[in-house]
Amino acid sequence: MEEQTFVSKARTAFHSAAAKAERVLLDFKSDREDHDKQSSPNTFTGQQPEAESPHTNENDSKLRSELKHIKWRPPHLGIKQDWQDRIKNIRRGRKEVEDTDKVGDASMAVPFYDDNLYLLNMKNDLEAKASEAIPSVESLTAATKDPIPPSSVLKQLAIAVEAGSKAKSMKDLIASSGVSSPARERAGLSFSAVKALVLREKEDKLTSEFTSNEKVVQLINSLFDPEGDFLRRKINSNLEETAMTSLPRDIHGAPPESLVVKLAEILGNYKTLRKMALFWCRVVAELRKLWSEEQYLPGVPQNEIPDLKSCLLYQHFQVINCCISRKRFRIIATESLDSMMMQANSDIKESTDCCAGAPASPVLYARLNSGELVLRLGADHPAGDMTLLETGEPVYSPITQEGPLLTEDLIRETEEFVLRTGSVGAGCSQLLSDMQAFKAANPGCILEDFVRWYSPPDWTDNEASTEDSDVFDSGEPLSTRGQLSQRMQKEGNLWRELWETSKPVPAVKQAPLFDEDLALEGILNAFEDIHPSDLFGQLFVSLLGLGFAIAEPMLSSNSDFSKLFYDCKEYIIVACQNNKLNEKVDDLVQVYETVEKMLLDPEEALKMIRQTEESTMVTGEPRSPFRTLSLIFGGKDKLLRKSVSKDQTNDEEKSGRQSFSSFFDSKSSLFGKKPPKSGFPSPSAKSSIDTGWTVV
Amino acid sequence: MSSSSGQSSGYDLSFKILLIGDSAVGKSSLLVSFISNSAEDIAPTIGVDFKIKMLTVGGKRLKLTIWDTAGQERFRTLTSSYYRGAQGIILVYDVTRRDTFTNLSLVWSKEVELYSTNQNCVKMLVGNKVDRDSERVVSKEEGLALAEELGCLFFECSAKTRENVERCFEELALKIMEVPSLLEEGSTAVKRNILKQQQQPQASEFGGCCS
Repeated sequence: MEEQTFVSKARTAFHSAAAKAERVLLDFKSDREDHDKQSSPNTFTGQQPEAESPHTNENDSKLRSELKHIKWRPPHLGIKQDWQDRIKNIRRGRKEVEDTDKVGDASMAVPFYDDNLYLLNMKNDLEAKASEAIPSVESLTAATKDPIPPSSVLKQLAIAVEAGSKAKSMKDLIASSGVSSPARERAGLSFSAVKALVLREKEDKLTSEFTSNEKVVQLINSLFDPEGDFLRRKINSNLEETAMTSLPRDIHGAPPESLVVKLAEILGNYKTLRKMALFWCRVVAELRKLWSEEQYLPGVPQNEIPDLKSCLLYQHFQVINCCISRKRFRIIATESLDSMMMQANSDIKESTDCCAGAPASPVLYARLNSGELVLRLGADHPAGDMTLLETGEPVYSPITQEGPLLTEDLIRETEEFVLRTGSVGAGCSQLLSDMQAFKAANPGCILEDFVRWYSPPDWTDNEASTEDSDVFDSGEPLSTRGQLSQRMQKEGNLWRELWETSKPVPAVKQAPLFDEDLALEGILNAFEDIHPSDLFGQLFVSLLGLGFAIAEPMLSSNSDFSKLFYDCKEYIIVACQNNKLNEKVDDLVQVYETVEKMLLDPEEALKMIRQTEESTMVTGEPRSPFRTLSLIFGGKDKLLRKSVSKDQTNDEEKSGRQSFSSFFDSKSSLFGKKPPKSGFPSPSAKSSIDTGWTVV
Repeated sequence: MSSSSGQSSGYDLSFKILLIGDSAVGKSSLLVSFISNSAEDIAPTIGVDFKIKMLTVGGKRLKLTIWDTAGQERFRTLTSSYYRGAQGIILVYDVTRRDTFTNLSLVWSKEVELYSTNQNCVKMLVGNKVDRDSERVVSKEEGLALAEELGCLFFECSAKTRENVERCFEELALKIMEVPSLLEEGSTAVKRNILKQQQQPQASEFGGCCS
C-alpha cells in the first residue's frame, strides 16, 4: 500500500514536471516568435542596393596612383624642385598646410633632411589610406604567404579587447558611429582625423550596406566553406602532435586551423571596432542559418563533447556540430524504428492470411512466458550472451539517449544548482530514460535483468545455477539463480522505484534528456549578447596560440633563437592563464612581435638579442625570469583586489542563462532528495549537518 | 546579525574533492563513513551526490565539498563535468575485486587526465574493504606501486570499520594546502562566497522595496 502511494505520488510529480517543462518550451517558442519579428527589418535592410563599391574602387585607384608617384620620384632633388612641387600641391588644393610649413622650414636648413621628411609624410599618408581598405578574401589570402599572421592583426584585436572592456555590448560598438576608432587616434595623423570627419556623415549609410557588401559576403562564404583552404598556413608536422596541440590548450585558446582562429584573423583585419562588431553579427546570422539547415561548421569536430581546455567560443562551436550530429542520428533512428513497425504490421497481416509464423529478419521479437510474441523496440545489439531471467530470451542492449553537452559555463551553473538544491535530477532522468529504453527492447524483463546489464557488480550469480545450467526448469524460483546486491535490495531503493515508474518507450520516442534546439538557442543568444572583451579576448588568445604553434617547429631547432622563443612561450602561457587578460594584451603583442621578427628579420632579431645580453650583463640579473616573476606577483595582487569584478562577471553570465535555470527548476520537484526516515538516527544527524552548513 | 553569524561560523579555505572509481567499490560508504560515522549499506549512487564537511587541519578551518559519483559506465558523461576545478581527486578500488584495481589504470586515470582542468590537483589512491582480509586479492604492495606510477598518495581503509577513513581526507587536505595555486583557489572561493552572502541581503531589500 505504501508502495502504491509512492507510485501515485511519483506519477503526479512526473506529470507536473512534464507540464512545467512544456510551459518552459512554450515560453521559449513565444520568445522565438518575437525574435523573428525583430529580425525581419534587418532582412529588409539587407536587400538594399550596394553603393559602397564605387567608393572602394575610387580608393583603390588613388592608392595605386600614389604608389606610382613614389616609384617615379627622381633622385637628388634640388631646392628648385622642392618649390615647384610645393606650388603643384597648392594648385591641387591639398589642405596639408601644416605639412607644407614643416617641409619649408626643413628645406631652409638641411636639404637632405627635407627629402627624407617628405618621403616619411608620403609613407604615413599611404599607411593611413591602406588602413581604410576593407579586408577581402584576396587580401587575406595574400597575407597567408607570411609564415605567421601579421602582428598588426593581433594588435587590432588587442585594441578591441581594451576598448571592448569599456563597452557594455556589441550593440554599443555598432551604435558608436560618432566616435572615431582608437586605431585612428593612435595613428595621430591629421589627415586621418579630417577624413574621419568627412566620413562621419556617410557612416550611417555604410552601416546598412555593410551586411550586403560583396567583400563581406565573400569573406563569410570562404570562412564557412567546408572544402576550402581559406587562411590555411603551412604547419610543420614534424613535431609530435601533443606538442603541437598543447600550447593552444595551455592558454585556453583554440586549435590551429579551427574556425575560431580563422575568425580571429578576419576580425583582426578590420580597422574599426564598429565593423568588427558588424562582421561578428553577420557571423552569428550565418550560424543561425547553418543550424536551421543542419549544416556542420567547418574547422570544428563534428561529434566531440566540448573540450574544456579550449576557449568557450570553441566549446560552443563544438556543441553546435554535436547537436547537428545528434539530430541527424535521431532522424535516422526514428525512420528505422517506424519502418520496422510498419513491416511488423504487414508481417502480422501476412501471417493472418497465410498462417506463416516466420518474421522477417530486421524485425525483432521476444517471446513472453505466455507464448505471445512482442515486438522489440529500439534494440541495438545483443548484450553478450545474457538471457532474460524469466523468459530465457536474449538480452538486447537498447539504443540509449546521450547525455547533456555541457560547456564550462553550463558546468559551473549545473554544479551550483546541485549544490543549492541537492537535486539528483540529472542522474535520475538518465537512469529512468535507460530503464524505459531497456524495457522497450526486452519485453518480459524484470529489474534484475536491467541491473545485470547496467550495474553488473550489483548482481551475483549462484554457483548452483551455473552447475544446473544444462537442466532448464522454468518453475525454479528466482532466488536460486542469483540475487541482487545487498545495497540494491535495500528497502526504499530509488532504483526499484524508478523501475516501477518506467514505461517501455524507445529512446528516440522519449522526451529528450538534452534538448538540442533549446541548447542552440541559448548559445546563439549568448553569441548575440556576448561582451566585446569576452569575444575579442578569446579571439586574441586563439590567434596568439596559432602564431606560436606555427613558429615553434621553425625556431626550436635554431640555436640562435630557441632560448628566446621558449622564454616568450613561457611568458604567454603564464600571462594567459592569469584571468586579467585586458591588462596583458599590450605586453603579449610585443612578445608576439619579437617572435615575428625572429622569423621575418633574423638579423635584426640577433642584434636585439645581443643588446639584451649586454644589458643583462650590466644589470647582473637575467631579464626573462625577472619579467616572469614580476608578472606572477603582479597578477596575484590584481587578482585579489579585483575579485569583485569577477563576481559581477559571473552574475552577468548567470542572467544570460535564465532559460536553462528554469529548465532545471522544472525537474527539481520530481527528483528532489528524499527526506531521511525518522526511524534512523544517523540520517537525521546527516540532515542536521547539511542544514547547518548550508546556512554558511 | 547575519554578518556576526557569518564570522562565527566562518572557515579559512574551501576545497572541492571528487570521488571516482568502479561501481560498488564503496565510494558512497566511504563518504558517509567520513561525514557521519555511519557504516550501513548505501544504495547505488544515481549520477552525482555531494556532502559538505567542516574540518580543521594544520591550524586551518576547511570546508570540504565532496562530490560522490556513480561508477556505472552509462553515468560517465554526466559525472565527467564534475572534474572541473576539483583540487583533490580520490580514486577508489575494492581490494577484494581485482578488476576494480585494474580499471584504475585502464579507465579512471585516463578520465582524470581528460576531464580535470586543474593541472596541480592532488590525487589519492584508496583501497577499500580491508576488513575482508580473507577475500583480499590486491596486496598493499601492488597498491603502493600503482600509486607511485600515477603520482598519487596511497591509503588502505575500510568504510565499514572506519579504519583510516579520517586519515584519508585529512592527509588529502594537507597535501592540497601545500600546493600554492590550490591554496590560493581555496582562499578565493571563500572570498567569493562571502561576497555572495553580502549581496543576498541587498537583493531581499530590493525585493521588499519592489513589493
